[in-house]
Amino acid sequence: MQTRDPITNLINALTKLPGIGERTASRLAFFILNQPDELAENLASALIEVKQQVGYCTQCCNLTKDERCMICQAPKRNQNMICIVESTPDLRAIERTGEFHGTYHVLHGLISPLEGVGPDDLRIRELITRLGQSKIEELIVATSPSVNGEATALYLQKLVKPFEIKITRIASGIPIGGDLEYIDRVTLSRALSQRRELN
Amino acid sequence: MLIEGLRIRDFRNIEKAFIEPHHRFNVFWGLNGQGKTNILEAIYLLSAVKSFRPQTNNDLIRFHSLNAQLEAKVDRGGSERIVRLEIHSKGKAVFLNDQKVKNLRDFFGSINVVMFGPEDVRLLKGGPSARRKFIDRAIFNAFPGFAFVSQQYEEVLKQRNALLKKEAKIDPILLSTYNDQFVEFGSEIVFRRLTFLETFIPTLQSTFEDIFDASFTAHMEYSSQWLGEAKTQKDIADHLDRALENSVAEERSRRFTVVGPHRDDLSTQLNGKSLKAFGSQGQHRGFVLAMKIAEIKYLKERYHFSPILLLDDVSSELDRSRNQFLFEFIRHEMDGQVFITTTHRDYILLDEDLRYWEIDGGQIKPD
Repeated sequence: MQTRDPITNLINALTKLPGIGERTASRLAFFILNQPDELAENLASALIEVKQQVGYCTQCCNLTKDERCMICQAPKRNQNMICIVESTPDLRAIERTGEFHGTYHVLHGLISPLEGVGPDDLRIRELITRLGQSKIEELIVATSPSVNGEATALYLQKLVKPFEIKITRIASGIPIGGDLEYIDRVTLSRALSQRRELN
Repeated sequence: MLIEGLRIRDFRNIEKAFIEPHHRFNVFWGLNGQGKTNILEAIYLLSAVKSFRPQTNNDLIRFHSLNAQLEAKVDRGGSERIVRLEIHSKGKAVFLNDQKVKNLRDFFGSINVVMFGPEDVRLLKGGPSARRKFIDRAIFNAFPGFAFVSQQYEEVLKQRNALLKKEAKIDPILLSTYNDQFVEFGSEIVFRRLTFLETFIPTLQSTFEDIFDASFTAHMEYSSQWLGEAKTQKDIADHLDRALENSVAEERSRRFTVVGPHRDDLSTQLNGKSLKAFGSQGQHRGFVLAMKIAEIKYLKERYHFSPILLLDDVSSELDRSRNQFLFEFIRHEMDGQVFITTTHRDYILLDEDLRYWEIDGGQIKPD
């Protein structure tokens, strides 16, 4: 809502951000107002730059300012292995482990008919194009083990079946350092049913 | 299972109360509309978080108060815990020994209650949803993990219905995805219901014979249009899968999921005749009483101690001999703690192990 008072406008704009209510918004607005002009100018230009320059990687749909993201460009990454994630923050979480040396594919959401999100609203078409273009050895579906995450994983599994590509799902179960006694029953029974052999 | 102390603050019409219940019988008496049922509701909420009567959080908070607080000190077979529930207009928070419970899954089962109130008499007469609620709540009481399965099922069902409703042309791969999830959780729900009934029905039958006499044979059956004779989870899943296939045309025109555990029912018979169609008022009440008592016996077997029994508005719904049976049962067959509300003390056929409170305008007075 645009009013004629610039302070109110700023507060209204800030409340649109996640996790920011009226009170925090007003605190932020007055903080910005009381700082040197530089802060406001930097913030404003950073906001505009990010919107103008950042787009989707043409290969994996990760957010990037280039045509292809850093990971897709890296010569050492295994281009034949794709880890499918819900969002860029999820991609970053996996990157931080340093364990994965393949490339990613970012869906930008999960399937949820209730919220009007179907497969066509996600970056699934781009994934299928990718499968047709190069020789992929393995797809790892790393969506969360929630109802929507599982539905999306199951959908992908059915969708890529004709391609005859190895498709795997990340494991879920007991966290490292976790105490069995305090693990909830569902996680525990899932962990039991997906146990692995020790020898 | 024992409530050793119960603290209530700004809940419904109760401003402040603290009671130390007897380990056996606790009777709250007073005129109607004074707040007797509110005490039972407080205990029920501490067990199930959701109430047995339809309400919003604001209904539970005393007029002009910010929030309501309920707290119970519970002895659970030797281990003691403090359960606290804070009710705010925007939500509820549960605390176990002063630690906030992040996932209700870890909390359920802390207090087990079985409730028997005036509305329950309509359990067998009304629509199937009340009977599904009865069986699912009984299973949940015994196996709290069941809550997760039914939540997942509800969520998948909602997604599937949204898909059927919104899309003019449904993506067949997406529909088959939701079918798989629907069958996975749906078959588990039905499997758990059948497993429950297997031990529950014989107990129900013998209880009913005790209440009436041996010439009456009570029976209860899982009633479903698609289940057939399936018993194992695998068979149930196959049947449910086929039922989905067979209802494609109907689903296309009605645009929601027409088969599944959310449409199933429990049917009840007396000497082979449908209770719903032919049963007398007294038989209905006796049957429901037997169901509740069988549920208590079932939980006792499961946990090796009795659940807490909440008896709301005793005697207005049962005739004298049924009433006598009920008190015989809670005195001799059951060793747990019982909370009773009544308008007349004469309805209470108990003479020992007993504590009375008088309820008057939200005030709880020992008596």
